[in-house]
Amino acid sequence: MAKRVLLVDDEDLVRNYVRRALASRGWDITEASDGAAALALLDRGFDAVVCDLKMPDMRGEEVVKRIRELRPAMKIVVITGSVSNLTTPIVPGVEVDGFLIKPFGIDEIRELLEKLVNS
Amino acid sequence: MPNKANILVVDDEPQIAEMISASLQLYNYAVSIAYDGEQGVKRVGEEKFDLVIMDIQMPGMDGITALGEMKKLDPEVEVIIATGHGTMGTAIQSMRKGAFDYIHKPFEIKELFKVVERALEKRKFNDITRAIFSTVKPEEQLRVIIDSVTRILKADESLLALPDREGKLQVAVSEGLEDRESRASRLALCARLMENPDGAAAKAVQLVEAPARDKKFSGIGGLDQLKFSLFLPLMDNGKLSGLININRLNEEAYFTEDDLQRARIFGSLVNLALRNSSLYRQLQETQGQLIQAEKMSALGQLAGGLAHEINNPLSGILGLTQLVMENTEKGSQNYTDLQDIEKAVFRCKKIIVSLLSFSRQEKTRIEPVNVNEALEETLTLCARQMELKRVKINRQLSPGLPMVNADFQQLMQVFLNLFTNARDAMPEGGELTVATSLLKDPAGRELLAVSVADTGAGIDPEILGRIFDPFFTTKPVGKGTGLGLSVCLGIISRHNGAITAHSVPGGGSTFTITVPV
Repeated sequence: MAKRVLLVDDEDLVRNYVRRALASRGWDITEASDGAAALALLDRGFDAVVCDLKMPDMRGEEVVKRIRELRPAMKIVVITGSVSNLTTPIVPGVEVDGFLIKPFGIDEIRELLEKLVNS
Repeated sequence: MPNKANILVVDDEPQIAEMISASLQLYNYAVSIAYDGEQGVKRVGEEKFDLVIMDIQMPGMDGITALGEMKKLDPEVEVIIATGHGTMGTAIQSMRKGAFDYIHKPFEIKELFKVVERALEKRKFNDITRAIFSTVKPEEQLRVIIDSVTRILKADESLLALPDREGKLQVAVSEGLEDRESRASRLALCARLMENPDGAAAKAVQLVEAPARDKKFSGIGGLDQLKFSLFLPLMDNGKLSGLININRLNEEAYFTEDDLQRARIFGSLVNLALRNSSLYRQLQETQGQLIQAEKMSALGQLAGGLAHEINNPLSGILGLTQLVMENTEKGSQNYTDLQDIEKAVFRCKKIIVSLLSFSRQEKTRIEPVNVNEALEETLTLCARQMELKRVKINRQLSPGLPMVNADFQQLMQVFLNLFTNARDAMPEGGELTVATSLLKDPAGRELLAVSVADTGAGIDPEILGRIFDPFFTTKPVGKGTGLGLSVCLGIISRHNGAITAHSVPGGGSTFTITVPV
């Protein structure tokens, strides 16, 4: 069965290429363009969530925190356009499984997700 | 001596005014008379007087009012108040209004002369004070100092000795010493005196009679001419840093107690003036750095926001390019073009990472840091690159330095930037010298200094002032972002430190960082 991933980003351009990069490797992708939609979709059952940190309706940090509360075992990957300091946690108070800093390439997201879900 | 001083006598009693005037003229003073307060004030407005001797009780405008008006017209004019009906009260009132002194009528003319001489002496010192405080440019100031001291102490020759950059005592300025030999012998005299600072005496004015015969100065030639030598100490942070040497060559021209007193006052004025100008220069430097840091911060905020907005579309460009590449025949023109697009995105990414590190707004993670350790770690990181470029690394790290409160990672970033610049400045290889030391700033606070020196081409003086500007680079397009040194400046400013560059074209460059301990 194909592994399922929930892709949360308000930027069409980013969702577009990440979806295609993963779909071509057999992933089943569900997209959400904001935090509320992402949380509403969570019941559908996913192996991983890929979530942007800066979105208009809800801060990505909040979304990630709620997902972690609701699904403690979920693999969560944060994608973000700005990381100011790598010595502090990417989302304070929440443990995430990985992160990528934009701009990131297709192989980077593929490799990270494959590593996380198959481990 | 040229005509002594210009004095105005203001008294409503003509006989008294003329008597005072006649006595003063006997001593070569230029004297004018006014017969009431208004007239006196008018004269002060029209002509430059050194001194006014004024009666307090006059019809019309009284002395105290006139004094106030005169001080408004010429704050530097000295006024002696004479009063026949003097109560202590009016005398004190006149002093408050800025009178130099008061004298009770009837007075003996001798008494008046004493006060006049003192007032004029103060005037002279005021002039000198104004002169030596009028400039903060070291060369001009030292010249004014030596001219003034030669004049007020009636010296036949004088010199001012200060240590140069290497700490070696040199003649900074001199007067009446035309040939090199005599300058050298006087300098040796000063050096000898500074080598043997007799405790507290070193900080005081010292008088030496016939130094050639003084065993303290044995072995120094060319001193036979000197009959009386006076030494005024120059202090820096409570320590003896230099000397003013004043010499008289005439056997009869001994220094009087008055001369010594003048020398002491002058010495303390000079020390104040030198300290003042050194503080002023520091202030200017700090202000410059502050303005630069402000500019950085404003630009950093803008850049930070901009970088964030750019990263999303940039990520799209990168991802889509790579997706298309997967469906393009390797080696085709399209494939090569896509590879170029991909490379361009990585270049943008590099610029943005620099921009972000430059605009970092959050608190730095401050902990006690061993700076030598941060340097060693950074050097380890670049050792291989340096080896490839045939750059030899000289370590001159002082052991046992105190810890500084700093962000270890950020310090490493600063060092890495400086090492990379140094490496790039020496494409044909060379030497990178990294040194640490402990310094004291003029306020006595300890500073840790790190210097990074290369043996490269040096920095053109014309661009030296711009190297910390963001986006300023001398590297070829695509090779440098022009942000490295801006980032360094930003980080060091956040550590309350300073970073400076010294360079001689062809003689390499040295970057010096100081951070408080």
